Amino acid sequence: MKSVKRFLSMLMIVCMANLMLLQAAQASLIPTDQVARSEASAKGESPHDRLSNLMSREDVVTQLEKLGVDPQDAQTRVAALTEEEAVMLADQIESAPAGGIIGAILLVFFVLLITDVLGFTKVFPFTRSVR
Amino acid sequence: MSDMSDPSGRRRFLSAAVLSLPLVGGLTACATQTRGLRANRPANLPTRVELADTPFFPDESFYCGPATVATVLSAAGLPTDPESVADRVFVPGREGSLQIEMLVAARRGGAVATVLPGTLESLLQEIAAGHPVVVLSNLGLSWAPSWHYAVAIGYDLDASEMLLRSGPMKRQQMAMRTFEHTWRRANHWAFVALPPGRLPATALEADAVRAMVAFERNAAPKQAAQAYRAGLKRWPDNLVLAIGLGNASYAAGDLPGAEAAFRAAAERHSASAAWNNLAVVLDELGRRPEAIAAARKAVELSAAGEEGPRETLRRLLGS
Repeated sequence: MKSVKRFLSMLMIVCMANLMLLQAAQASLIPTDQVARSEASAKGESPHDRLSNLMSREDVVTQLEKLGVDPQDAQTRVAALTEEEAVMLADQIESAPAGGIIGAILLVFFVLLITDVLGFTKVFPFTRSVR
Repeated sequence: MSDMSDPSGRRRFLSAAVLSLPLVGGLTACATQTRGLRANRPANLPTRVELADTPFFPDESFYCGPATVATVLSAAGLPTDPESVADRVFVPGREGSLQIEMLVAARRGGAVATVLPGTLESLLQEIAAGHPVVVLSNLGLSWAPSWHYAVAIGYDLDASEMLLRSGPMKRQQMAMRTFEHTWRRANHWAFVALPPGRLPATALEADAVRAMVAFERNAAPKQAAQAYRAGLKRWPDNLVLAIGLGNASYAAGDLPGAEAAFRAAAERHSASAAWNNLAVVLDELGRRPEAIAAARKAVELSAAGEEGPRETLRRLLGS
């Protein structure tokens, strides 16, 4: 069942990619981000194709949902990403820093207390660094 | 965050754990930007600045992402609150917010979000220019990270101090050196969110262009045009900004504006995309012969395999 679902979604992606390519050929104005991409690739930065971009978006939606984001919010959030952002996010969503505050902190409470006082870290509001 | 682990940070921690307090002096041997800035103050940088009017949204939990975005948006004249931002940026499963989505959330709030070059001087220059800065810090250690977003709203070079809107603290005073350490462990990541038409004081051209192109994706066309116009004033030679101005003007229904922008871009850069887009606009203005000439130019300059200009010419000749 799962593999069928996966196959169907891949099929959808390919169809949509084709549709978008077709539209790109007919649509008249060349969009800004396309110019930006070809400028970037002329400077040797790596471009990514439309298909990998669409797959990245699909990926990010799935992952956001898995991480507890409301499915509808996940869709609009991913739609707001640029292609470059979508590809980057798909790569790092599990590992990138998520600014939130204080995960593993209890574990290393004392270490951090000391480093706080030394002025290398700033975890506790009540510490004052020695310098 | 083992991939962020920084060997020198770990070494410093180990020595810190081993050494006793009186020996601390030896640990601060590495030359910090703080020290450099205090010793060699840029002439145009005021000694102390505090953007005291910056709004404050206290946060006690994991919402420092939404809170900081709401802070800089409100400061930019785009009032909002953390609750409305949270749906756009918070990731419950990570109990935090991701950097890319922070930028997107600021854009969706109507601001151009530009990543800054990661220097302390750039940070201070932005504050001096009146722009509160969102910073990501690792308040913990490289191997036991504690990621946190805050808004830098001031500094004092004499006292060597940063001022932050941070979590529950409305006016956190942090030793500049400590701030620099925590910020460095987050790869010196920082951004400003400004209303379209207003440029960061210190952003690099590439970062500013990236921010504006991304803004066009989420913004009303008129606002995108405003952003591009300001960008072109500072970087008149940038092709992407010129095309962006044309596209945004076109999307806003301003055909003469679009024509002017594309024509300027076409003449300045002899770029296929500019001629192609000029051809489309000329055609819509009812000037078919001129449009065809522009489209021919676009085809002539286009790269192999680039279908857009050929398609435009075919369409203009065919219908």
